[in-house]
Amino acid sequence: MGLRKLAKRVLGVQRQPTYYLPWLTRPHLQCALVLSNVESRFKVGYNRGSFPVSVVQYDAQGAVAGRHEVTLPDAVEAVELPLPPAPGGCGFATVSGERINSDLYVTLSDGLAYTATHGRGEFIERYALPGRLLLAMVGGLLGLVGRAIPAFVRHQYAYVGPDSRSHLLVMNLSNVTNRVRVVASREGRVLGARLLRLAPMGSTLLDIGTFGSAPGGSAPGSAGTEVWRLRLEGAAWFNLYVVGAGARNLEGPLSLMHVK
Amino acid sequence: MSNSVSALLSATFYEPGYEHLVELVHQRDPEARRRLSSLDLSAYGPDGKLLLEHALDTRDETLDLGALLAPTTRGHGRVMAVFDARYEEDAFPYRPHHYAYVHRTGSATPALYYAVSAALGGVPDRIGDMSRLNNFDTYVFRRGPHAARYSVMLGNVGRFAPTEAQVFAYYGAERVEETVFLGPRAHAEVALAPERGGQPLTRVETKSLFRLAGYVVGRREPSGDLVLFDHLFTFFK
Repeated sequence: MGLRKLAKRVLGVQRQPTYYLPWLTRPHLQCALVLSNVESRFKVGYNRGSFPVSVVQYDAQGAVAGRHEVTLPDAVEAVELPLPPAPGGCGFATVSGERINSDLYVTLSDGLAYTATHGRGEFIERYALPGRLLLAMVGGLLGLVGRAIPAFVRHQYAYVGPDSRSHLLVMNLSNVTNRVRVVASREGRVLGARLLRLAPMGSTLLDIGTFGSAPGGSAPGSAGTEVWRLRLEGAAWFNLYVVGAGARNLEGPLSLMHVK
Repeated sequence: MSNSVSALLSATFYEPGYEHLVELVHQRDPEARRRLSSLDLSAYGPDGKLLLEHALDTRDETLDLGALLAPTTRGHGRVMAVFDARYEEDAFPYRPHHYAYVHRTGSATPALYYAVSAALGGVPDRIGDMSRLNNFDTYVFRRGPHAARYSVMLGNVGRFAPTEAQVFAYYGAERVEETVFLGPRAHAEVALAPERGGQPLTRVETKSLFRLAGYVVGRREPSGDLVLFDHLFTFFK
């Protein structure tokens, strides 16, 4: 038995299959889901009748900000579901429906045009009480020195230019407080580290600008975007979406994009 | 090097005026330093004419596609960039994937991050669930806002075989079909009317004889800046 399997057993972890999408609202930006079952159009047992769908929106602190019940009239018609702003301005929404077998989209609109990406079919980690207590204790102690339990590690490039950049929306897909350490580096040199403390089912928008400034000497409108490396390590399952920004950074229109 | 090298053929489209950075290997593990065995880039004009061939250094992590292509592709508009990668199963137990970052220089329109379209991946013993039909795709549009125009970009990555692709756009119950002929390594952008008979564009489907490099594209009006550059979704997964 591998170390990870053993740890899961000791901590009493269960993985609950879940389809989720990130959400993000700003004063100038509306977020809406596009729900459909179109990919099931030719799948027997999934393509007839109407399809009830339940959406649960979690805010940045992991609290349920809203529940939405939607019915898709058939396999191809899409229903748009605007997500209202909620505390923290970001989070994720889970979507469930018995015969839904299609990717769903999340869109960000500035009222003129929209950007879009799709959600992910993964899982939420549920820890039993002893596991939650153990992670809280060990994670709390490591957090005092700016560290996190590196049970899950992700690598992601970030892009920082004079007129565009990529931020991260980091989502805690578990029912434990998840400390995620993020280390940013450029050409082998560490720029800085941040320790994120994500509430159960909570999320945060990580501003890449907090690690350093845009490339010097490049005027807006010129090329010269730098590629930074991010290493993220967390105690429990987490995932991230890339948040793309343009010349107005987080005050302008934004995009969301899944990672591998 | 083992004798069981796998292959991955991916393609994207480059347009002048954009910063376009491609991750040659996504999610690099700095300790393991996974590398492709080889990676070649070739670029083609819309008619399939070869414009550039370039062997890439697999030690590089990202490629500035604009810096490489801009000088040779001037006057060609959209160019198809084809990445021909070889990799070993020991280094990549999963199929590697290229991701990319694209942004119109100087624009307030947000940068986009996307998965490069993998037109052909794996060798027969590693294709696995890729043996399913993967040349019948779809994408759903919002009914608004409307200050954008949409299209699909399709590229034939086949070296010798011409093909045709059918593009179906849906407006309520109405379906509009367009057939596109693509010679070897040729590519096209098929515009989708935003509405028809008062009904907005709601969905698109693409169907072809074999898998094409394909993207659904949205451009903000009137600047034309990309707001959408994403893959379509297969009906058979």
